[in-house]
Amino acid sequence: MSYEAKRCGVQFSPPAIILMYRHKQTDQVRKRVIPVRNFSKYSDCCLAAERLKNHLRHQDYLGGVPLSQLERLHVVLRDHLLGHSLQHSLASFQVDPEEDLNKLGDEELARKKGHMDKLFEQNRRHKDDPDFVYDIEVEFSPSDQEKCSWDGESDDGF
Amino acid sequence: MAGDASSIPEFDQEKYDSDEQVKIICLGDSAVGKSKLMERFLMDEYRPQQVSTYALTLYKYSTTVEDKSVVVDFWDTAGQERFLSMHPSYYHKAHACIMVFDVQRKVTYKNLTSWYKELREYRPEIPCCVVANKIDADLKVTQKSFNFGKKQGLPFYFVSAANGTNVVKMFREMIKRAVDYKQNPSDFMDEVMQELENFELEKKEDPACDAVKSDSPDLA
Ligand SMILES: Nc1nc2c(ncn2[C@@H]2O[C@H](COP(=O)(O)OP(=O)(O)OP(=O)(O)O)[C@@H](O)[C@H]2O)c(=O)[nH]1
Ligand SMILES: [Mg+2]
Repeated sequence: MSYEAKRCGVQFSPPAIILMYRHKQTDQVRKRVIPVRNFSKYSDCCLAAERLKNHLRHQDYLGGVPLSQLERLHVVLRDHLLGHSLQHSLASFQVDPEEDLNKLGDEELARKKGHMDKLFEQNRRHKDDPDFVYDIEVEFSPSDQEKCSWDGESDDGF
Repeated sequence: MAGDASSIPEFDQEKYDSDEQVKIICLGDSAVGKSKLMERFLMDEYRPQQVSTYALTLYKYSTTVEDKSVVVDFWDTAGQERFLSMHPSYYHKAHACIMVFDVQRKVTYKNLTSWYKELREYRPEIPCCVVANKIDADLKVTQKSFNFGKKQGLPFYFVSAANGTNVVKMFREMIKRAVDYKQNPSDFMDEVMQELENFELEKKEDPACDAVKSDSPDLA
């Protein structure tokens, strides 16, 4: 492909996805404004992202942008339509190690998992990888009783 | 209601009474990686059955343990609190339990206490293990000792669903323990009863034990 996606963002009004990309032949960096149409606070962000990624006019530019990222951008747009601040949207993608995720609803939980997926995919060994091993066993022996700080602060049976 | 949930209409849990069927449940908080671990072990070779009303994914897996063929049903449950009322059906007739936490999120480790407590209310004696997932995110955690479950003698595994470390080993050992348990269900309650009976017998034979009797009126 002759375009390399560099960065993307959103524009609230009119709603659009902004893409910075490099034109490989000319080595020029350019900005593309991709309008997001037929999108409301009730829309399904995952579907909308997919629609955009496969859009005839934009697919060449969006090839290098992961679907999950496009989905997150749509979530930010939708949050805006719902009256949420940008800070609120961005915080919802972060994972606070102290937060109990058992209390979240499906969509909020999916946002957290979306964030976790980045590292997961980065560290993942695929079964199609040439050096894939199904059964990997590694022995870990704790170095001289370093106490885990997660134990023993309270009397809850640890 | 909780009582009714032990029989999920979509499938029959009576089958777990037959010799060659075992049921293994996977428990733990939301997003600790229970489903990713199942998928890593089974490598998409098995089509799961989704029972969404019960927040449950079922994987059927065939293997052999000591030359006998066994069918394992893995019950991959959801951690979300709104499925709390489903828990009795998860525990019902289970032969082993895999308890998972996320090494990047301390709450998920702390919450093991309540998962374990609930498990023991329903299944006081089945084999259980503690699994520390996502070690790929921070290998340093493997230098630490996690004491939950040590007292109860639960095996502990450092694993990663992402890169596969110790996933297969953990599942194979738990299948083995589930089958062993099924073959010799050393039912905890039975053991206690037996102890009590022995105690009674000894007392009858030896009058010198009478003093002990008065010390423990609640055992009679
Ligand atoms: N880095 C890393 N991330 C992981 C690993 N396992 C799971 N994850 C991430 O954690 C997220 C949650 O994993 P799931 O398997 O969906 O968690 P779960 O325990 O099944 O969650 P519920 O079904 O909602 O209770 C995934 O989206 C992955 O991004 C792992 O071994 N390493
Ligand atoms: Mg799951």
